[in-house]
Amino acid sequence: MTAVFRAVRLLVVLLVVTFLSYALLSLLPGDPVGQILGGAATPEAHERLRRELGLDDPLLVRYGSWLGGLLTGDFGTSYITGVPVLESLADRLPVTLELLAAAQLVALGVAVPAAVAAARRPGGPLDHALTAICFGLLSTPVFVLGVLLILVFAIKLKLLPATGWTPISLDLGWNLTSVLLPAVTIALPETAVYSRLLRTDLIATLQEDHITLARARGLSPRRILWRHALRPSAVSLVTAVGLNLGAMIGGAVIVETLFGLPGVGRFVVDSIFARDYLAVQGGVVLISVGYVLVNFAVDLAYAAVDPRIRRA
Amino acid sequence: MPRPPGRRDRPDRPDRPEHRGLLRRLGPAFWLAAGWLALVVAVAAAADLLPLPRYDETLAGPPRSGPSAEHPFGTDALGRDLLSRVAHGARVSLGVGVGAVLLGLAAGAPLGVLAGYRRRRTDAVIMGANDVALAFPAMVFALAVVAFAGASLVNVLAVLGVLSVPAWIRLVRGTTLVFAEREFVTAARALGARDRSVLWREIAPNVALPAASYAFVGMAVTIVAEGGLAFLGLSVQAPTPTWGGLINEGRPVMETAPHAVLLPSLVMFLTVLSANLVGDRLRALTDVRQSGLEPVRRRPAVPLPAPGQVHRIEEGALLQVAGLRTHLPTPRGTVRAVDGVSFTVRRGRTLAIVGESGSGKSMLIRSVLGLVPGPGALRGGRVYLDGRDLTGLSPERMRRVLGTRFGAVFQDPMTALNPVRRIGVQLAEPLRVHLGLGAKAARARGTELLASVGVPEPARVMRRYPHQLSGGMRQRVTIAMALSCGPDVLFADEPTTALDVTVQDQVLRLIRRQREERRMAVVLVSHDLAVVAEWADEVVVMYAGKVVERGPTAALFERTRMPYTEALLAAVPKLTDPAHHPLRLIAGRPPDLADPPAGCSFHPRCPYARERCAVEEPPLLPAETPGHLYACWYPRDTGARAPADTGSGTGTDSDGRGLDGPCGPGRPAAAGRPGDLSGPNDLSDLDEGADSRGR
Ligand code: SF4
Repeated sequence: MTAVFRAVRLLVVLLVVTFLSYALLSLLPGDPVGQILGGAATPEAHERLRRELGLDDPLLVRYGSWLGGLLTGDFGTSYITGVPVLESLADRLPVTLELLAAAQLVALGVAVPAAVAAARRPGGPLDHALTAICFGLLSTPVFVLGVLLILVFAIKLKLLPATGWTPISLDLGWNLTSVLLPAVTIALPETAVYSRLLRTDLIATLQEDHITLARARGLSPRRILWRHALRPSAVSLVTAVGLNLGAMIGGAVIVETLFGLPGVGRFVVDSIFARDYLAVQGGVVLISVGYVLVNFAVDLAYAAVDPRIRRA
Repeated sequence: MPRPPGRRDRPDRPDRPEHRGLLRRLGPAFWLAAGWLALVVAVAAAADLLPLPRYDETLAGPPRSGPSAEHPFGTDALGRDLLSRVAHGARVSLGVGVGAVLLGLAAGAPLGVLAGYRRRRTDAVIMGANDVALAFPAMVFALAVVAFAGASLVNVLAVLGVLSVPAWIRLVRGTTLVFAEREFVTAARALGARDRSVLWREIAPNVALPAASYAFVGMAVTIVAEGGLAFLGLSVQAPTPTWGGLINEGRPVMETAPHAVLLPSLVMFLTVLSANLVGDRLRALTDVRQSGLEPVRRRPAVPLPAPGQVHRIEEGALLQVAGLRTHLPTPRGTVRAVDGVSFTVRRGRTLAIVGESGSGKSMLIRSVLGLVPGPGALRGGRVYLDGRDLTGLSPERMRRVLGTRFGAVFQDPMTALNPVRRIGVQLAEPLRVHLGLGAKAARARGTELLASVGVPEPARVMRRYPHQLSGGMRQRVTIAMALSCGPDVLFADEPTTALDVTVQDQVLRLIRRQREERRMAVVLVSHDLAVVAEWADEVVVMYAGKVVERGPTAALFERTRMPYTEALLAAVPKLTDPAHHPLRLIAGRPPDLADPPAGCSFHPRCPYARERCAVEEPPLLPAETPGHLYACWYPRDTGARAPADTGSGTGTDSDGRGLDGPCGPGRPAAAGRPGDLSGPNDLSDLDEGADSRGR
């Protein structure tokens, strides 16, 4: 795939994603005008406001002007709170980003050594145990996991706070303790996905001639696993890290609500309950576009993992 | 007795799943999981009829009380019976789960079949749209839509159903693609069957099982998603209980009444786990069917004869292999890949190991090196290097021997190098690990090594990745790596098979030159007797994991004793053959090493076999040339062999294997027998070859 083709595809996907976010949420029942004016307003007042807000224009025109706004950084101003949506999102984005980054770190940090250990003796007791644990983790909904972790680590052991958030700027240590439980909650199911994938690919790689030859050269199993087998086995893992970001963001919405973190996910949920249309739209677009861009970046990252994909 | 004509040769037509043994193959976990799902479904269906308090009846018991006889799941903060609430919650979870699966299936399956069957434009359009659809973070979207459209059962179901469509399309398309390319479908299409009937008769039954499997996995996903929505308060609204909602309600009282959170969580976990398990087991079933494997039958590997036997170390032997065995447990039984092999190599000489593919040659090399694959592989016998037994060494000390005294080159240079590491890094590694060189010194040595094996511009090649080099260059690099720490024995497993004819000669020449310069011994594995005759001093002929003839090259080729060696020699294309002469092959297939024939393992294919061959295994006997040994009851040129009795075909039937017995791979019962020309392998070539040799 040439770079131009990729760029064009990215553009098309972005257009479709933003359009659908806009269209779906605009076409659904529910009227912002009624909310702004309250129940007592006259039909004339309704009409006027609708025209002012441009709600009577055709969908495509409305989409166009909304998209134009997005490009200039104008996500609109909330009808409910009067705060520019962009400002609210900018406030909350760092929290979500930190949460996701920490979760990826935990997931990979656990999954890679676990997969390497399991692949060393496929079918061995460790491998079997890991398979069972992964299967269990994959069947545990994120909110069940979160509630259990709170019950054990916050309520019974009193090691970590159950809810609340300390920004990095205030105190790094407290920040880390407040991000740890939520990050682990999101990370555990991903750990299962990653370690299964990597284990399978590692086992396949370990069958290859160059590994047998590395053994024939008298290299230690540890060196072979980490230096010879890991990188050629990592391509699916890199894909999965990108694809699973969608699942992670879904998890973040729940986890941010459960642990009381002021992130984008919680903002979207709060805005939903407040019927704050523009805010929800802005949040959904931010998340979708971020997701698309990350997957695009993952596509490019393949080449770094596997030089065979690098095209001259 | 005529063989059923070509029964096994027809393309597999697995459209009617075999039900025999199928249910058993699912395993007990499947049945437990299916039982739990059935229980949850039954409870959900009969929730109103069960002798339980109403789900919304407050103070049905003391609030926040734990499980008791009266309230098996305890009560919540308002004193409502939790079991009743969980039972009613199951209605929502299962209803949404099943409904969304049906919706996804109804919309996704036809589109997937269409994309996979039509391909081209249709496929491109559908999959393009699918990719875009998958670019959405589903959960966030579900949230927004439910929030705006209203949180009702129908809306939740519709949104989750629609969101599951892309996954369905992908699955069904993938399966359809696989089957649309199978012979029986292309055949039906070529015969002019209408698309609709092909789809219904050939494709639909094959898509059914993967689809059923995914239905359960999809249900698990949906139940989790619905739970998430309900947990946020965005699924079916109160007073109807939902599992996610129950867990959320239990949170504030978690400290005093943990059961209110734990029990609904447990029920939900078990349900999702069960659905996943059922899906997983069903999928495993499709795997088995596609690979055509028999049900797993694990026979414990027979322990190998205890070592302890002391071998006489031959005078001047650098490497001596004595009674080496390697047995690998497989689902079909123990494979005797190497079965009692002995040979010796001296310094400065080349020993060739020949045999067809599947005769255990490559496994023999790996076994000598102690690199038996997989768990459970058993190795017996001894390997002596300079008179020292290597089989008892600790892994670390063995690695030291491997690194500094042995070198190995394998057949395919494309796979012999690590694709993601630069040549320089790979070449320097053993030098640093085993010789303790620093980074700089190792690089310099690596560059020298490359130059010594005839790689032009070695400094540049050091910075290259393997895929940037030609096959011949890569083989030179692997040889350089094998030679890097100055080995005493070089093992070369078909080092030239994957190379161009012109390059072959160069590589063999290189190996010989290195042997002379370094006074190494070379063990050369090959199936190419022309190569062997030219480059080897001694030859070992392997068949079915055993040595059947061995000796000095000249003696073995000129005074061949064993019919298998003879057949191998006859299979070498001769310059005198007409240009398009079909390649001379040995009739029949090599035996199944999991179930080798009794007696002489060559007897099913041997044109001279008699009754005794099928019963008694011939030992290795010395021929008149010193060092020449053979294993055969009726060897060539000795008078022991009477004119072959090609008509009667006795001998092979006496092992009691009927022709209508199971005809698994490697049981070419009748195919190789003289006179039986009904099999796929025409023997006339071999007979002709034998005749022309003055039989
Ligand atoms: S022992 Fe019998 S079957 Fe085996 S090779 Fe000799 S003649 Fe053939």
